[in-house]
Amino acid sequence: MNVTYNWLKEFVDFDLTPDQLADLLTMLGLEVEGMEKLGEGMDDVVVAVVEEKRQHPNADKLSLCRVNSGTEVLDVVCGAQNFKQGDTVALAKIGATLPGDFKIKRSKIRGEESCGMLCSEKELGLSAESAGIMVLPAGLKLGTPIFAALGLKDTLLEIGLTPNRADCLSAVGIAREIAAKLGQKIRCPENAINESGEPVDKNISVTVEDAEYCPRYAARYLSGCRIAPSPEWLVKRLNAIGVRSINNVVDVTNLVMMELGQPLHAFDCDRLAGQRIVVRRAGEGERFTTLDSQQRTLTGDDLVICDAERPVALAGVMGGENSEIADTTTNILLESAWFLPSAIRKTSKRLGLHTESSHRFERGVDIGGVIHALDRAASLIMELAGGRVAKGSLDVYLGRREPETIVFRPERANAMIGIDLPREEAIGILKRLECAVKELPEGALAVVPPSYRIDLEREIDLVEEIARLNGFDRIPATLPLARVVSDRPTRHQQLEKSVRDILVKHGMNEIINFSFTAPGAADKLLLPGDDSRRSTIRLANPLVDEQSVMRTTLLPGVLETVARNISFRSLDLKLFEMRRVYLPVPGEEMPHEPLYVVGALTGSRDGLGWSRANEAVDFYDAKGIIENLLSQLSIGGVKWVADAPEPFYHPGKSCSIVAGRERIGSVGELHPTVQDNFGLDKPVYCFELDFEKMLTLARQKRTISAPSRFPDSTRDIAMLAPVELPVEKIVECIHSVKAKEVEQVDIFDVYQGKGIPEGFKSIAVRIRYRSYERTLTDDETGRVHGKIVDSLLNKVKVSIR
Amino acid sequence: MREQLERLRDEAAKAIAAVSSEEALQEIRVRFLGRKGELTALMKGLGALSPEERPIVGQLVNTVKEEVEASLDAALETTREAARSQRLQSERIDVTLPGRRPVNGTKHPISLVVEEVCDIFAGLGFSVAEGPEIEHDWYNFEALNFPPEHPARDMQDTFFVENNLLLRTHTSPVQIRTMLKQKPPVRIIAPGTVYRCDSDATHSPMFHQVEGLMVDQGITFGDLKGILTIFTNQLFGQKTGVRLRPSFFPFTEPSAEVDIACVICGGKGCRVCKNTGWLEILGAGMVDPEVYRHVNYDAEEVSGFAFGMGIERIAMLKYGISDMRLLFENDVRFLRQF
Repeated sequence: MNVTYNWLKEFVDFDLTPDQLADLLTMLGLEVEGMEKLGEGMDDVVVAVVEEKRQHPNADKLSLCRVNSGTEVLDVVCGAQNFKQGDTVALAKIGATLPGDFKIKRSKIRGEESCGMLCSEKELGLSAESAGIMVLPAGLKLGTPIFAALGLKDTLLEIGLTPNRADCLSAVGIAREIAAKLGQKIRCPENAINESGEPVDKNISVTVEDAEYCPRYAARYLSGCRIAPSPEWLVKRLNAIGVRSINNVVDVTNLVMMELGQPLHAFDCDRLAGQRIVVRRAGEGERFTTLDSQQRTLTGDDLVICDAERPVALAGVMGGENSEIADTTTNILLESAWFLPSAIRKTSKRLGLHTESSHRFERGVDIGGVIHALDRAASLIMELAGGRVAKGSLDVYLGRREPETIVFRPERANAMIGIDLPREEAIGILKRLECAVKELPEGALAVVPPSYRIDLEREIDLVEEIARLNGFDRIPATLPLARVVSDRPTRHQQLEKSVRDILVKHGMNEIINFSFTAPGAADKLLLPGDDSRRSTIRLANPLVDEQSVMRTTLLPGVLETVARNISFRSLDLKLFEMRRVYLPVPGEEMPHEPLYVVGALTGSRDGLGWSRANEAVDFYDAKGIIENLLSQLSIGGVKWVADAPEPFYHPGKSCSIVAGRERIGSVGELHPTVQDNFGLDKPVYCFELDFEKMLTLARQKRTISAPSRFPDSTRDIAMLAPVELPVEKIVECIHSVKAKEVEQVDIFDVYQGKGIPEGFKSIAVRIRYRSYERTLTDDETGRVHGKIVDSLLNKVKVSIR
Repeated sequence: MREQLERLRDEAAKAIAAVSSEEALQEIRVRFLGRKGELTALMKGLGALSPEERPIVGQLVNTVKEEVEASLDAALETTREAARSQRLQSERIDVTLPGRRPVNGTKHPISLVVEEVCDIFAGLGFSVAEGPEIEHDWYNFEALNFPPEHPARDMQDTFFVENNLLLRTHTSPVQIRTMLKQKPPVRIIAPGTVYRCDSDATHSPMFHQVEGLMVDQGITFGDLKGILTIFTNQLFGQKTGVRLRPSFFPFTEPSAEVDIACVICGGKGCRVCKNTGWLEILGAGMVDPEVYRHVNYDAEEVSGFAFGMGIERIAMLKYGISDMRLLFENDVRFLRQF
């Protein structure tokens, strides 16, 4: 809602600067979101008189002027033609800054010096268009700043209203708030209607067929009006608040709407068949062309204003082309009505047609102010367009609405807010808000709010008014007395934090992608047609197709992030995302939203450095991170099953991660096709973990054993094994001997190639032996080691080198 | 023999003084004290002395032996010290070469802020609650007193899914889910992802909020002010000014927008605070009785407050980020700074 400082002053007295007023309104909950000080910083644009005007010697279209600004006489080159010697003009002196950060400098134009500029209204920001410079009335004092001289100094306040404050969608509404806060009286515009001629019902008639959607419809008849441009004061007022001037009649309806909050509509009565208004629901599929020349197809939920034959306005939203005020209009039917907010909202939303009128109706205008606004507009039209106002107004008020009485307990308000406001002050606040207040037995009050405050319905609404008018800044900050409750983060929350901490410790950067993806993500991952991840939740109204489907896997987002970073030449990446995916559950209303963890590694392991080999990451970097993660979460019995688990991995370089009997995730190198699909040219190693499954497997208790205090003894074994033998078998075999002296088994070399027979690999294992009871002798160690070697030879068929 | 001993002592002293290497000193030790050394040889002659002389000369031999040993040890120590210090003098590394830095990962700034906010409220006795992101209209709107066809719904542009489901537009439905599950006292903080179909330089279709709710007997609007003052002071520094001004949310009444003194300019007025000196960081209010009706609480018995804040907004203020889109581009050059 836009309103100006000077306009508000017409309705209420206050002794505040524009900044103080803005602060007062903001602290009342009418947030001033912007302020525009008209004429601010333009004191260097002054009243001046053209003493001499002659042709520019070198340019046909320019003139040379000598201009007197009261204190000095300056040479100015001007391109406009619409003025003559002796005219009073607006001179922007050197150093002035005009709107658009246009600085006036001394300049030479076609060889002639120009020490300033003669301004047009447009250049001063006073109108959108102007032909030629501004010629001012004679008699203004030379040298006075132009805005002050013309009385144009004003401040535009842009107020961001919350949807509950429909009553403040008008200048008077905002003035009422100021009056209530300052304890002032409001001055409402007077209506002086000089009715004449036949009674209104001899000229027009109104029938309301739908009292639910249209509880009140009032109209007046004006004849013999002359449509003309509006006078300057009206044009300026409307321009100041951002409303375009159309003609005197339409401008009056707009002014009264901005002033009182009641949308009005003026029909050309001669274009209304039967001089008649019928308010009814539209027929299903009925067509109607609104003022903006758009043909609309209506439904039975839309309310239309009709004449005897056809719709002439979309009720509360927009008038029709077929009955709008034209230059030739003389007789006018003026409408002031109250429509059901939800009905107007439905129509406006469905048609995507949001107007100043629908905005007010859907929030609720003052049903008690319908006639006042009608009369105000009628009297203004008579004043500006002449004509006569027929006697009386039609007022079809079928759905009478009266404000209800609210029982209000001042002590309850104090207890809610945490203040100690005396009862009389609370009553004073309510009265300043124009509520009727009556004492009830037992200390409560019976409060009837004014009809325009449709938001005041319950006691709590009045509690808020007390807090608001008394001032939020006068509420002391206190701390609640609270009962102790036993609570700590859930296991889910604890584990989520642990996983994030552990992955970060392993050098990974956390990323967050949008939860919605493109519909083709499953194709890019090569998921088969029957893959459950293809069953997705779709948005009914996505912003763009690329964000139309709720993701069922984090992988596409992670891979897109990898690609984007690589395009910025960040080549070494270790990224993870831990977020929800959204899985429809057959037969259930709500989808499942489990948490998943997806990681991706690519590029160099440690980055370029002077003291280490610049090696690329591989499968074992990804696996190592997961091994550490699972071990720190005490998830034991983990198996790495090379079952080519996912179509998006390289089948020979990927595996399922199985803990106990649960498959908790997978890890692998990205399939070359998938790599291509995401525009990646280097191998990427990924893992995916089902957080919810990890949660069920993670053990809370872990037992810690004290280390042995005796010395160790180590033995190495070098073996030859067939290439296809998993090293895991060797380790399992070593453990299967169940020698309690075996403390640790490390594989410290795996090699195939030169010096090793075709089809074989060499594996070196170091076993560390130690006893908890004593120092092991060479013999003892040798005996156990011998058993292990025998077992390897016999069970896994390796040969010892 | 006595003269011999004294001569030996002098010779040893001279020999020790003349050399400076560890090897030469060892040779001297062998020459005098070794099994075939001169002093050892002399000691073998003790038997030839008379019983009266023997202890006296024996004592002298021992004294000389100890003296030689002591000065040998001292000389050795000095030599070793000198050798070590010479070695240390000659050894040098270039300390300006970069160290081997273990690569540190980073949490996303959104996670960092959520953790910090939750930590502050944990210290005030609030526990963390969560809820679904694909939410039922009833929890997201109706139970929060947004009736169907109410203009208040325009405050939140909603992504719809079929069957009355939608992407939650705020974390407030967690209030409803929590109160339906438990009786007062309630003290929760609910972080989460929310969605609105709006996208430009200052709006992202997906963003994050943290919701807070406290319901008990006798909770006042002043308590809300107190708790939020503690919170903002902990998050932005002890002296951050806090201002509450009236606003409107369907599920709270009285409702307030909470502003903090601009953390960029300290309240003097700058571009970030649009010259107002204040930054809007959260919305709050006393839980509306209509909400209590939906969760079967008695509004005459209990009262409480709720508040909600945008995590992105706080992250941007805390870290001086000017463009919200940076938070979702996941550029590692940005992420690695956290």
